[in-house]
Amino acid sequence: MSKYFYIALTSIRSKLAYFREIGSKTIFLFVVLYIFLCLWRVTFAETNQTTLGGLSLKQMLWYLVVTESIIMSLPPIATLVDQDVRTGTLAMQLVRPMSYPLNMLASTSGERVLSFVINFIVGSIIALMFVGPLDLQFQGFVMFLLLLPLSFALDFTIYFLIGLAAFWLEDTTGLTLIYSRMTMILGGMLIPLELFPEGWQQVLRILPFSAIVYGPARIFVTGDLSLFLSILAQQFVAILLFTFVICIVYNTALKRVFSHGG
Amino acid sequence: MNWLTSYLNLAGAYIKINTKSLLAYRGAFISQMVAMFINDFVWIAFWCLFFTRFPVVKGWGVNDVITLWAIAASGFGLAHMVMGNALMLPGIIMKGELDSWLLYPRAVLPHLLLGRSSASSWGDALFGIVVYAVFVKPDLPHFCLFLALICSVAVLFVGFSVFTGSLAFFMGSADSVSTQLRIAMITFSTYPSPIFQGFVKILLFTLIPAMFVSHLPVSALRHMSMTEALYSFAGALAVLIAGVIMFYTGLGRYESGNLMEMRG
Repeated sequence: MSKYFYIALTSIRSKLAYFREIGSKTIFLFVVLYIFLCLWRVTFAETNQTTLGGLSLKQMLWYLVVTESIIMSLPPIATLVDQDVRTGTLAMQLVRPMSYPLNMLASTSGERVLSFVINFIVGSIIALMFVGPLDLQFQGFVMFLLLLPLSFALDFTIYFLIGLAAFWLEDTTGLTLIYSRMTMILGGMLIPLELFPEGWQQVLRILPFSAIVYGPARIFVTGDLSLFLSILAQQFVAILLFTFVICIVYNTALKRVFSHGG
Repeated sequence: MNWLTSYLNLAGAYIKINTKSLLAYRGAFISQMVAMFINDFVWIAFWCLFFTRFPVVKGWGVNDVITLWAIAASGFGLAHMVMGNALMLPGIIMKGELDSWLLYPRAVLPHLLLGRSSASSWGDALFGIVVYAVFVKPDLPHFCLFLALICSVAVLFVGFSVFTGSLAFFMGSADSVSTQLRIAMITFSTYPSPIFQGFVKILLFTLIPAMFVSHLPVSALRHMSMTEALYSFAGALAVLIAGVIMFYTGLGRYESGNLMEMRG
């Protein structure tokens, strides 16, 4: 297990060498948070409400800090797998004494953790500037820290599966784009699930998207214990399910790998 | 007048060649186009959900936002399906790949910009027109004005991409900065303009000219106002001129990459 830990660590170190590039991405974070602050400020004012979907304006912006940080920290997992399949690099990986999926999980997780921390710090500074500090509960923060790695792992399993589709499809960028947009909208990145129509909420709470984005963000701002338990269960079930599917697809895909020396 | 006809012929020839080259990888082309169509549609779904819950935002309803998305998407799409290299400009400059374009007898910038078509932009262009026709159901005058405004927005996006891409002449590695500025422009362009006030509104009329995508064209269509449509065109033209000046000023600083390149 320690070798995968070192892969993650190396990934963080190599990403730190391109710190400026990560930093420049925070410009977009600033733009998005500012736009949503404007949008929600107007919406709160026009509806004459102090809370919408159980969140005040301050909580709404902090909710967006977490959701945006989760989404923006995503490394190009599907693209990396797609390229490894298409260029034949996968065959090289297979001779190494480590599992290809776990190697990919470790390296992309390292990168993701670093990106998330940077985005979260910058997002928090922006939120502090615009709406001030959140009334953060210690219990809520701990629950959030427990959910976050599982959210990353679940997201990884789905992107990894999309990448593996390169064995059969000419191009996986379309699938990647569609999945990322589903996560953004149906996962509650832009609006919390409570603001969706009643019928939709029931379905969205079962789908994996909400366990990736909505769950950790909502727990961070509200510290709701019952929601924590239900999101935790949802994450475990979804991770197990997608890992099982990966095992089947990966083993089927490996039978299509042909390599020769040279 | 002759040179205009000559450049229109060149544009026509490039569109034909670029389309053929995209169709060589038919599967990839169609999947990128469909994916972009779905991507844009997801945003429309978001706004429909938002307006179901909050029907009016500062006087804007769901139809205004759909119009905004239709204009922004098809304008962006048209810009980069015809002049796809506008998106690649910082990379081309940074890697010294301008050399091959400098050898042609044509003016560098239009020739360079026409040299590539972005596959996903076809999805954007198609999406905007379909969504406007299906959801907004315009009459003929509105639809004609909509088509004209798409051209205005396309000019604006090309101008802005050239302006931000030309930063590479001055900064070296400007890929990231250029992309961030372009994303900021697209993001500001796709939200209802009345939510922005004060200094930010001034910024959106100048440095990040998103108001010429979101505010003026939507308002022109709402009121069938030719004055606002003309303001949109004037703004787009100003951004294009600024981009062209920036490019040719920067070109004076360009140093050859001594790169051997074959263009088929």
